[in-house]
Amino acid sequence: MASRVHDSVLQTLALIQRRAGDQQQVIRLARAQERELRAWLFDGRPPGSMKGQAETVADGVRLIQQEVESQHGLAVDAVTVGDCELDDDMSALLAAAREATVNAAKWSGADTVSLFAEVEPESVSIFVRDRGRGFDPAAVPADRKGLAESVRARLARRGGAATIRSAPGEGTEVSLVMPRSAADRMSNRS
Amino acid sequence: MTKPRVFLVDDHSMFRSGVRSELAGAVDIVGEAADVEPAITQIAESLPEVVLLDVHLPGGGGQDVVAEIKAEHPDVKFLALSASDAPEDVIAVIRAGARGYVTKTISGAELIDAIRRVAAGDAVFSPRLAGFVLDAFAAGHSAELDRPSFDPELDQLTGREREVLRLIARGYTYREVAKELFISVKTVESHVSSVLRKLQLSTRHQLTRWAAERRLT
Repeated sequence: MASRVHDSVLQTLALIQRRAGDQQQVIRLARAQERELRAWLFDGRPPGSMKGQAETVADGVRLIQQEVESQHGLAVDAVTVGDCELDDDMSALLAAAREATVNAAKWSGADTVSLFAEVEPESVSIFVRDRGRGFDPAAVPADRKGLAESVRARLARRGGAATIRSAPGEGTEVSLVMPRSAADRMSNRS
Repeated sequence: MTKPRVFLVDDHSMFRSGVRSELAGAVDIVGEAADVEPAITQIAESLPEVVLLDVHLPGGGGQDVVAEIKAEHPDVKFLALSASDAPEDVIAVIRAGARGYVTKTISGAELIDAIRRVAAGDAVFSPRLAGFVLDAFAAGHSAELDRPSFDPELDQLTGREREVLRLIARGYTYREVAKELFISVKTVESHVSSVLRKLQLSTRHQLTRWAAERRLT
């Protein structure tokens, strides 16, 4: 196992040397390698085997972090408090969180996105925040409103809610909340 | 502003030189060490205001350095830095007496700000530490509240402290937390310091058990 990790680290170091001129690419490689090592050291998962489906909210948050960091080359500062199983409602919540995180990566211009998920007895909340350019929510053209509206509608159908706070120059925060089903509360981790 | 006198403890020389160049001009680096024993000897000689301390060292955990120095030189303050984020290690170094914890991916400007805060006696919570603390104090508390030795002042967070920690976990700076809650930055600092104190003094079994059981990203 150790030799596999060493091999993977050596390959990344070699790639970094060859692409030293491309800063974004080098950062992306270093982050991907860091995540693999971390998963191996702390979760007991060997490198390259991280494609498994998420089974809990915390897993799902970690997958969003990995995906957005490797595809968009910015840091996702992810923090999760508590955990619970990933049922259909929670999957819908995570899908919305993923969309919000990808949006922040694409449009905010920030180099970091904060992703905070908290599992409470009655509900799960996720906050996606960036310190990027922000926008005036009242001035979003009708054709771009579709995105926010579709997220909102999808959550609302399941009893959840989404709110967006933003102002030009002050970044954006998307707050998402989903009530937990009675069955899910029974399976609470703690 | 006078430059804080800083000592670096990290076993990776590349990381030390990176931090040195990022801090150049903003702080006065009075020494550095790569392991527990040399760190203890040299910190006792140079008596810096703030020690930047890697949580993991070849000769043991960073908490040994904190405990050893704090016993003789209580004025030396510690800011823990870690790449690994294993919660049991982070909690151990905080409980030994460190004034805060930041991850190694922190930007140079944020690190300088964190050093100044620690030098001024404040506590520094990264989003991750705020998350650890919320989790540790929330986990399975109902059974424990019945324990005879339960001390509500030390073993529970107040509603306001929770609000402050949640905002920090969401990525808010102290100034942004203050604005959001309509309180002063000083009040935010005092809530965070109070949480740090609880983290250090609480005897909750849950706190250590949680930290030992939990494995994080």
